[in-house]
Amino acid sequence: MAEARKSMIKIKPKKYKAGDIVKVDFIVIHPMDTGLKKDKKTGKVKPAHYIDSITFSFDGKPFTTMKVWETVSTNPYFSVNFKVPGKGKITVDYTDNTGEKNSKSKKLKPKG
Amino acid sequence: MKRRSFIKSIAAVSAVVATVTPAVLMAEEAKKAVPKGPNALSVEAAIDAITGGKGAKESDKVKLTVPEIAENGAVVPVKVNVDYPMEEGNYVKAIHVLAAKNGNSRCVDVMLTPANGKAYFATRIKLGSTQEVIGVAELSDGTFIKAAKSVKVTIGGCG
Repeated sequence: MAEARKSMIKIKPKKYKAGDIVKVDFIVIHPMDTGLKKDKKTGKVKPAHYIDSITFSFDGKPFTTMKVWETVSTNPYFSVNFKVPGKGKITVDYTDNTGEKNSKSKKLKPKG
Repeated sequence: MKRRSFIKSIAAVSAVVATVTPAVLMAEEAKKAVPKGPNALSVEAAIDAITGGKGAKESDKVKLTVPEIAENGAVVPVKVNVDYPMEEGNYVKAIHVLAAKNGNSRCVDVMLTPANGKAYFATRIKLGSTQEVIGVAELSDGTFIKAAKSVKVTIGGCG
C-alpha cells in the first residue's frame, strides 16, 4: 500500500459563525489514471487508478457522499457547502479503485 | 459485349466503394475520438441509469458554470448551483456531472443532504474533445432537472 497521500481541507470563508453556510474544499494529490494513457518511460498502458468514493462527515455523521469516476482531473478538487451547526470536526474519507483508503480531518471553530 | 459488361461491373464496384467508404471512415473516426476505457458508458445510458429511464427536464434552476473555451482539456473547472431550497423533506438529493462525448461520460455523482445548506458542487474534470458538459440535479420529489453547456477544448485531456 502506498504511503498516505497528501490531502487538504479548506474552509471558506475563514471567519464564520454557527448557522453560517461555508464552503468545504477537499484537495488530494492523486494520479487519477484513466487506464488509457501510455507511460512515456515504459511504453505500456498505465492501469486505471482513480478515486472511487468520497464521504464528507461531521462528527461521524456523513452529510455528503460522492461516487467518482476517472473522468475527474488529476489531483482532484471537490467543493461542497455545509451549514455549520456548531463546534465539531469535519472528516473526509476516500477510497480508490485499488482499495487504497485515506482520511483527513479538520476542526470547525465557529466564532460568536 | 465483353467490353460493355466489363465497364458495367467497374461502375457497380465503384458505386459500392463510394457508398461504403465514408461510413467505414466515420466509424473509424468515432473509434479514434472516443477511446474505450474500463468504465465506458455513453451519455444516454448514463442519464438513463441516473434517472431510471424517466429522463431529465431542461431547467434554468440548474446553473452550470464552465469556461466557454478550455485551453487544457485535462483541467476544466465545473461549478453547479441549484436554485432550490435545502430543507427537511424538500431538498436537492443529488447533483450529477456528465461529459457528453467522453468515453465514460459520468464524472461525479454527489449525494447531498439538508445539512449542506445550499445545493452547490464544484470540481475539475477532463474533457477529451469539444463537447457538452451536463449537470443533472435530482430533487427530493423524484424529479430530475438538468442544464447543459458546450465547452470548446483546444488540447484534449483524455487518452
